[in-house]
Amino acid sequence: MKSTGNDIIALNAIDIQRTNTPAFYSKIITAAEQALYREPEVSALPFPVFVWLLWSVKESVYKYLKRADAGLIFPPTKITIQNITAPRKAPVAGLTNSVWESDRIEEDFYAGEVKFNAHLLYFRSKIDAEFIATAVSPVPGFENVYWGVKKIDNPGQENQSRQAREFVLQKLKLFLLTDDLSIDKTPAGCPIVLKGNEQLTIPVSLSHHDHFVAYSFLLAR
Amino acid sequence: MDRTTILSELKKVLAPYTEDKEMLNGINENTDLIKDLKINSANLVDIIIDAESQYNIEIDFDAAEKMYNVGNCIDIISEKLNPTV
Repeated sequence: MKSTGNDIIALNAIDIQRTNTPAFYSKIITAAEQALYREPEVSALPFPVFVWLLWSVKESVYKYLKRADAGLIFPPTKITIQNITAPRKAPVAGLTNSVWESDRIEEDFYAGEVKFNAHLLYFRSKIDAEFIATAVSPVPGFENVYWGVKKIDNPGQENQSRQAREFVLQKLKLFLLTDDLSIDKTPAGCPIVLKGNEQLTIPVSLSHHDHFVAYSFLLAR
Repeated sequence: MDRTTILSELKKVLAPYTEDKEMLNGINENTDLIKDLKINSANLVDIIIDAESQYNIEIDFDAAEKMYNVGNCIDIISEKLNPTV
């Protein structure tokens, strides 16, 4: 299956107090996943950040799988994170001109394996002071997976959607050397890339939360 | 509590999470929380917690997974309020 999935969490938009309550996090993460927080390199994260890291991985997996299974309903506790490793080197802090993109700079991420039924995927998450950005891949090396984050001024829903599309199109135009690209959605809500009226076989995932938009796509070059 | 009353109260639960108040006023059992009301998926658990508080019920995560459209939300809330029905 050729697909991609990503998610973005704006950390200033989460309710820290609520996230810390078992009534909240037990609806997202399993007991086995809660045990991952006891591992030293993971427990350095504030607990609410850990919870939303796992959420962003699960949401990314859901988007990845929904492209082939339009009827799939988001099952957060059935998508299970198997393990998490922390970055070996300190991550690059902040954004450059409001943007971060995976192919611009070599860096380490929070990473691990995640399962849903027979599917095994790999995740990478960039945790910044302001956001958690995640992408998933069927291969641990993330070959041909591009993902990026952009901070926007206006978090209105229409602007978020427009900015996310413009952000990914700007990147795709650099690779495909054409301006005649647009984004549409399947009836199930999966983004597709059009060149004129022709649908390209480039899977794209878009997400937005508060002042952040993000993309991932799979493109063999 | 009948389905119409649950629907009416559900609007109050959903209100903080959608900008589209016109769409919210016109919701029906087929309304999708994410596609139609443009609710961010990161708020779905907030909605479940708020619904638990609003109706004084507990929604387990198996049920919570089904709360992606208004009709399913009403089904689950109704089952919890009227367990013998």
